[in-house]
Amino acid sequence: MGASLRELRQRRQSVMATKKITRAMELIASSRIVKAQQAAARALPFTRELNRAVSAVAEYSRLDHPLTNHHENPKRVAIFFITSDRGMNGAYSSNVIKAVSRFVQRLREEGKEPVRYVVGRKGIGYTQFRGLPVEASWEGFSDSPTYDDAIEIGDRLVADFLRPTEEGGVDEIWAVYTRMESMISQTARVRRVLPLEVVEGVKDIGDHDLVPEYWFEPDPETVLDRLLPVYVRSRIWFYLLQSAASQLASQQRAMKSATDNAQQLIERLTREANQARQAEITQEISEIVGGASALAEQE
Amino acid sequence: MTVTTDSPAAEQTAAIGRVARVIGPVVDVEFAPDAMPDLNNALLLDIETDEGNRTITAEVALHVGDNIVRAISLKPTDGLRRGTRVRDTGAPISVPVGDVTKGRVWNVTGDCLNDDISKLTIEERWPIHRQAPAFDALEPKTQMLHTGIKVLDLLTPYVQGGKIGLFGGAGVGKTVLIQEMIYRIAHNFGGTSVFAGVGERTREGNDLIHEMIEAGVMKDTALVFGQMDEPPGTRLRVALSALTMAEYFRDVQNQDVLLFIDNIFRFTQAGSEVSTLLGRMPSAVGYQPNLADEMGLLQERITSTRGHSITSMQAIYVPADDYTDPAPATTFAHLDATTELSRDIASRGLYPAVDPLSSTSRILDPQFIGRDHYDTAIRVKQILQRNKELQDIIAILGVDELSEEDKIIVARARRIQQFLSQNTYMAEKFTNVPGSTVPLADTIESFRMICDGEVDHIAEQAFFNVGGMDMVMENWARIQKEG
Repeated sequence: MGASLRELRQRRQSVMATKKITRAMELIASSRIVKAQQAAARALPFTRELNRAVSAVAEYSRLDHPLTNHHENPKRVAIFFITSDRGMNGAYSSNVIKAVSRFVQRLREEGKEPVRYVVGRKGIGYTQFRGLPVEASWEGFSDSPTYDDAIEIGDRLVADFLRPTEEGGVDEIWAVYTRMESMISQTARVRRVLPLEVVEGVKDIGDHDLVPEYWFEPDPETVLDRLLPVYVRSRIWFYLLQSAASQLASQQRAMKSATDNAQQLIERLTREANQARQAEITQEISEIVGGASALAEQE
Repeated sequence: MTVTTDSPAAEQTAAIGRVARVIGPVVDVEFAPDAMPDLNNALLLDIETDEGNRTITAEVALHVGDNIVRAISLKPTDGLRRGTRVRDTGAPISVPVGDVTKGRVWNVTGDCLNDDISKLTIEERWPIHRQAPAFDALEPKTQMLHTGIKVLDLLTPYVQGGKIGLFGGAGVGKTVLIQEMIYRIAHNFGGTSVFAGVGERTREGNDLIHEMIEAGVMKDTALVFGQMDEPPGTRLRVALSALTMAEYFRDVQNQDVLLFIDNIFRFTQAGSEVSTLLGRMPSAVGYQPNLADEMGLLQERITSTRGHSITSMQAIYVPADDYTDPAPATTFAHLDATTELSRDIASRGLYPAVDPLSSTSRILDPQFIGRDHYDTAIRVKQILQRNKELQDIIAILGVDELSEEDKIIVARARRIQQFLSQNTYMAEKFTNVPGSTVPLADTIESFRMICDGEVDHIAEQAFFNVGGMDMVMENWARIQKEG
């Protein structure tokens, strides 16, 4: 009994220490999440306008440009996915990884070869453990990305996109990120970055409609050439910010439930420890009383 | 306690005494100063009541002085009066031994319960108090006893001619496992079996007799019962009665004997009751002060001598699931293999509910069981141990926080836990799944496959309540078809 009492107390101590950590992390996450959400919101108007501009150029210039050109038969498909650098985020990273695996399976079934671009140590660890090939990986900024990171990633992706397939280039670029729907709901999403998928802000043109007239200076091709990297960077930037906010929200929620679980465990262990202690006391008393009365009878 | 090995001292004329005091099962008897009975002698008390006369047996436990001996009755003392005539038999309690005991049911004093004793020819009776074999007569050989139950063969290999303990709290399956063992081992064994029912449910004894008759092993089995309705004196001695019969088969008939005792804790418990009735000062947790001695006297006799073995299987009740309780703790040291049954595992529906981490065996050692077996057993234990350590993390942070390696360990541990359950013959009436016997080589190979991750793709439930890996594959094929 004595041993089990000590064991129970030790376990309770260790759970209490864990609870302190998770509680602290919960508080930190909830203080940082506001900032991350604001950053994501601030990036939104620029991203939206840029999308519209790119769509307009692509739609009205009718150019044969890699940005808009759908590959006849895409062979190599880039998957760019964002995971976290550290744990304690609940299912944040594994949701992304699950979405990626599903997507990879789909690509395989279509006979396409996936090429992985990873952000975050969790994703890197996953691919390394499974022995999966990774084209490029970045780490260290999953919860507070900067625009420089987006530039670095974007440029690399564009460079690979523009290179011919035979030389190790890719035909399509897809991103898997976590969209911050609200504080309690974040979902992993798969979106195509290139070639352009959604044409925003362009209405169907009827026979009698007035067609907006665009003039491109110096010419549409140059504009598109300049726009392409900016567009990709901005998409990446948007995904990074969304993911960072989602990560913090996920962390806050995970740590809150961890703290609750730890509290429950502490309560259970405390109860068990108290029972063990009381059993020990009762036993000692009954032994002393029994012994004393046995001695008294002998006299 | 004095151990008498002499044959009954028949030359002594029966001394006559009178009952001086009766306190429940404790009877004080006054004898003439020159005719005091020896310790452990059996006394016969004639009780006259309106319903007729009965004779009960008591055993001398103490000489209290003033020509009075204190005896423990082996039967209820209702109707006993002061002044009742007491005969000293001049010898300890003795039981019939030899072939006559096979196929019959006996009580502690050697009366036959399922046959008319007057029709039997009892050639020999042995006193139940005997000396343990000398050290130089013990059997040094170590050989594994194959049971066909995966968890037992893999993690707690039993020793032929060894002592095996099945520990468990109330209702985790001790008795079922003992009956399973009787079915499995006694069936293919060919030798003689002796079963001692010590302080357990009378119904279980009854079930056992019928099962043995059905299984056709009754003719080679002697059963001795002193169940929970008997006074403590009986429950304290019935294990010795059964053991004496087993010893005869070993020493005189030179046979290999199986001895099943259900439940050795009741022996300790009875000893504690007797001790209190005798007025000894209680020791730790209220047990008798001579707890270890009493256990030692019994356990040392259960042993294999050169060439002839007693393989014993003992169920041991663990009060309040506390393994540090003196009763199970004292028993531990005497055993070659300990199988601990866990409430946790039983509550998850995994039977036999053997705790793979705390159960062990003396021969879980490469020099006895071979390198393959040992390595596999240790790997299984490692995975389960790691899984146990991770349980707190999973409980607090969730399974997603585990590293990739740990996730795989947890997945394999879960498969191992399921695979450690097995369909047993005794459980057929509960599960409608007939039992299975798994060859040792298959057991080792299957667990190696799980440890190496060769079956990671198979769903957990395919591993539940199965025999060998081929049954897992069958289940898996069925699950896939249905899914």
